[in-house]
Amino acid sequence: MLLKKKRSRELLLIYLFLLPAFAVFMIYRIIPLGWNLVLSFQEWKAVGPNEWIGLSNYTKMFKDEVFWKSMTNTVIYFAVGSPIAIVLAIFIAIFVNQPLRGRNVYRALIFIPYPITPIAIGIIWQWLYNERFGLINYILRSIGIVDEGIPFLQSFQWALPAVILTSIWQVVGFFFILVLTGLQSIPSELYEAAIIDGASSRNRFFRITLPLIRSTIFICFIVGIINSFTLFDLIYVMTGGGPGHSTEILITYIYMNAFSFGKMGYAASITVILFLFLLLITYVMNRVSGGEAGGMEIYE
Amino acid sequence: MSRWSLKRPLWPHLFLLPFTLVMVIPLYWVFKTSLTGEILYTYPPSLIPKNPHLFYYIDVYYWIPFLRYLWNSLFVSVIVVVSNIVINSMAGFSLRHSFPGKKLVILIFLSCMLIPFQTTIIPAFLITKQLHLIDTYLGLAFPLLTTIINIFIFKSAFDAIPKSLIDAAKIDGMPEWRILFRIFLPLSKPAIATNIILTFLWSWNSFIWPLVIIRDRNMQTLPLGLARFLSYFEPSSGPLYAFTILVIAPVIVVFLHNQKSFISSMISGALKG
Repeated sequence: MLLKKKRSRELLLIYLFLLPAFAVFMIYRIIPLGWNLVLSFQEWKAVGPNEWIGLSNYTKMFKDEVFWKSMTNTVIYFAVGSPIAIVLAIFIAIFVNQPLRGRNVYRALIFIPYPITPIAIGIIWQWLYNERFGLINYILRSIGIVDEGIPFLQSFQWALPAVILTSIWQVVGFFFILVLTGLQSIPSELYEAAIIDGASSRNRFFRITLPLIRSTIFICFIVGIINSFTLFDLIYVMTGGGPGHSTEILITYIYMNAFSFGKMGYAASITVILFLFLLLITYVMNRVSGGEAGGMEIYE
Repeated sequence: MSRWSLKRPLWPHLFLLPFTLVMVIPLYWVFKTSLTGEILYTYPPSLIPKNPHLFYYIDVYYWIPFLRYLWNSLFVSVIVVVSNIVINSMAGFSLRHSFPGKKLVILIFLSCMLIPFQTTIIPAFLITKQLHLIDTYLGLAFPLLTTIINIFIFKSAFDAIPKSLIDAAKIDGMPEWRILFRIFLPLSKPAIATNIILTFLWSWNSFIWPLVIIRDRNMQTLPLGLARFLSYFEPSSGPLYAFTILVIAPVIVVFLHNQKSFISSMISGALKG
């Protein structure tokens, strides 16, 4: 009897302790997700009740050129930006994984941009890209590649690559640390055995290293997804989505529609597409990496 | 012994040195400009600041209510950090025990992780408005009050605490909730450090959320103030870069002082994420 009472008090405490976390997730994750879906079928009115308009937002979206432009740019970011950063990170990690002098210095300095406020990064790089007094144009002029500075962020051709490069610069140090951790968990016996068997260094990389850091690469992609939202901050200060929407991505377009134009319903429908898109990438990456990475470890 | 462990090769430096320079020079250049204001008009640009002065840093105080922004950012970050330690350790404590519905709770938490905050930002804004939290500190902090990754970081730290220790405390008649504060938390310092570092960074660097819910100039956080400041200035002026340095300095100083726990925090944040 006493034991039972004790157990029920313990249970009460357990549920009570879960409650605050649950409440916050309810208010800021679960309810918004549902509400967002509802909003996407409505036209939002600042005053008075919203109007149900069925799939109009979606049909409008599929005809909207700017939506497609921002979708394409988002895909480019994931398909080009992340892989470049990951390949670069693997290279550096392999170099640093040697018995080098100054390993820790490299580790720290390459990592340092990652935790820095993205807005500050945007301001710094906006200036590096500046046509007249930017460091990059100075270097290009000095070595004679160009005569006149290139206005990178004002150019249709260069603005998107310039922003993506900045985001690679910020995230590559973290990918590098993740890959380095992955490399260090590979038992050195594997390499010794391979060397004895006469495997070339190329084969050792493709047959041992790469397969064994597969889940690390998956994690890098996931971090890339999370990081793609800091891309909003970069674009906000560097180009504002311009010139002519050439650096518009889904999240900046959502922000513009919802908070500059007050088209909450339309913005909500784009958000639904963004959400599905991110879910799809996560799923595909999880399958490619063998499906054992990420959240499932915690479940055990 | 692997065969390359005896000699220290030089060739990786040929690749690593220029790469590291690319990572560091932008930051150094901003720092230099904040001290001298010299832009690339001066040919050739010098690597070492000539006649450094703090004039631009003082300028920042005249241009904007810097201390107010600093206070806003700090205060919100403190709310976020403290509430994360409390709420997450409580949730982690619950998840260490077995109870009916545990699997469901974990499942819900894990699926919440698949919902990036930015994909819920419109309703989150509307809810905050309903709660009358626009332009408030609590409104700024609310979405970050607890973070799933950090709950699991606490859970795995608590899982590692031997059961015998808890049983001993129970036999001594210590109530359950005190076990959390007296035994679990003191034994989970790395988990606490990870919570502090990750949530401080997220709060300090956060931009889109303050941008959405702050209308009042006096409630702006540092990143918001920095973005506004940019619109007043030519991209070549000293005060802008002094301000930039003031915003990033805390992060860099904290990082350089606690490199190890900083990096391992970010790794565990990613691995659990």
